Amino acid sequence: MSGTYATVPQARIGATVDCMICGTPNGPDAAQCRQCLAPMALVHDAGAQEAPPALVSIIGESNVGKTVYLGFLLDMLSQRAGDFEAIPKGAYSIDLQQTVISHMAARAFPPKTPMEADRWLWAYYQVHHRAADRWVDLVMPDMAGESLAAEVAAPRTFRVIRDLLTRSAGSLLLIDAALAANGSPQPDFFGMKMLSYIDSMRGARRDQRIDTPTAVVLCKADHCPEAFDDPRRFAEANLNRLWNLCLSRFSNVEFFAASVVGSLAYGTSARQEFVSLIPLHTALRGILEPFQWIIDQV
Amino acid sequence: MPISLFRRKTEEPAPAAAPRRRPAPRPPAAESYEPAEPVTLTDDPLRRFLEQGRYGIVLAHGEAWAGQPGIEEVCRAATAAIDDRFALVPEGFAALPQTVDDHPGCPEIDVPVEPFLLALDPVTHAEFQLFVDAGGYQNLELWPEDIWPHIIDFRDLTGRPGPRYWREGRHDRRLADHPVVGVCFYEAQAYVRWAGYRLPDEAEWQMAASWRIRSSANTLRRYPWGDALDTTRCNIWASGVGRTVPVTEYESGAAPNGVRQLIGNVWEWTASDFSVVDAEGNPVVGDMLMKSIRGGAFDTYFPAQATSCFRTGLAALARTHNVGFRAALDLGGR
Repeated sequence: MSGTYATVPQARIGATVDCMICGTPNGPDAAQCRQCLAPMALVHDAGAQEAPPALVSIIGESNVGKTVYLGFLLDMLSQRAGDFEAIPKGAYSIDLQQTVISHMAARAFPPKTPMEADRWLWAYYQVHHRAADRWVDLVMPDMAGESLAAEVAAPRTFRVIRDLLTRSAGSLLLIDAALAANGSPQPDFFGMKMLSYIDSMRGARRDQRIDTPTAVVLCKADHCPEAFDDPRRFAEANLNRLWNLCLSRFSNVEFFAASVVGSLAYGTSARQEFVSLIPLHTALRGILEPFQWIIDQV
Repeated sequence: MPISLFRRKTEEPAPAAAPRRRPAPRPPAAESYEPAEPVTLTDDPLRRFLEQGRYGIVLAHGEAWAGQPGIEEVCRAATAAIDDRFALVPEGFAALPQTVDDHPGCPEIDVPVEPFLLALDPVTHAEFQLFVDAGGYQNLELWPEDIWPHIIDFRDLTGRPGPRYWREGRHDRRLADHPVVGVCFYEAQAYVRWAGYRLPDEAEWQMAASWRIRSSANTLRRYPWGDALDTTRCNIWASGVGRTVPVTEYESGAAPNGVRQLIGNVWEWTASDFSVVDAEGNPVVGDMLMKSIRGGAFDTYFPAQATSCFRTGLAALARTHNVGFRAALDLGGR
């Protein structure tokens, strides 16, 4: 059998299984897709469900905090935060959450996500939105910022990214608000590149706008509380290029502010050329809101 | 000054309740802001001290003001108010972890703590309003000279002097009895100076929360109520409230002397600089001077970061949504 949602028993009798991300047929015992390197466990877990899971992409440049954001989001969901509860599908879905929480609890940031797609951590959760009384199956990979940058600069370098973004039901674009507030144009340009890439990939005509829900999340907003006061106003003032691109090409975009670290300190050493960043304590703010906005529209 | 030695908690611990999970609300938008009405104070300067809650000032200057009409009555009222709003923290020790990796067994320093008085509750928005209305931001005597250039930045959302999240120099009246937040260390320090108090130092705060009194038992508490986390006794992230609550809530989480909310609701500024080292013994520093804050807040995610012994710091000029303060007073009334 060749189908997107082959069940495990069917897979075991020798049929190929199509990758959920890129559609490539894979052997029944494959651990990862031979084409895009996505874990095939996703396909096996999804096969038992009534409907295919929705893909939600968390994108942003390197060091913006994608891993930390996603790790805390998953951990909050699994603790029935807000109107949500979430059930992980498969032990592999818990790895990311565990890595982030164990590091942050010990006042350390998690290790950088490797560029190699076969080493990314993926999370597959069944999320129950209690207020709306609906379940949504979500797959969220933790992609490396360097890989995203490489794919944006040279499309098809990372096929898995292109396939993911093509099939995503919604995206969270994480922007370093602290850097933007400090006058750096880098977050503005990276955000523009990312959305231009999606625009180009979707092939929308000039008179069409992309309606995929896109939440622009202003991260590290603890450094610039103005972002919390009014995220839209902050974006218009500090990320004007991105703001204008959103207005002209994306019909379903909203701005949010978020922060995880309550206070940041530095470990210094006369012998070392660099300082180590130490998250002294956590203070979660604005983590759930963009996710809820996406879920409401998936 | 007659002060009750120990307040007795009269009520039974709150029964275990199902964890509450509510979505964190967004800050009130400008159109939903309900500014507090101005308070009209008496013309009598001595009685005005009482109305402003500046009992410490009255006690500190009572003798110097002898002979003023009504001073004895005012001093009695101030003493009674302090007796009602402060509790004695007995002599004891605070074991301060010295490394940022504060795991059990890490290096600690035992700091002896003399008995002192600690406010039962953090300072509220309504109390801080009296300081703002009295021109506290314009009274340079209350502020260290090196901070004077920064005072102009201590504005609310509308550019008026006041805590970061106020509007037009007024607090939201619905939050009147919530702890004041959006104030930096220097604003907290200016308030307590104005009112005749001081901020507790880090060891004093820890002594009050860990209750490591001088005794042969040599025990300390992880939380003011005991050693086990109980989210019905404090407002941290796991409590599911997602915002500040009035300062008198969580009575069951009080220390043995009745001091409430040492754990959770808001972090509390202390008078101490934040000073720890990393695993290699190198100093841990911030972008600017960091002061020690204690106790955790409503959005503190890890329960281990909201305990009586957890040390952390924050830039002294930071005006965040989750840091407030409470007052302390020496036994002699200073």
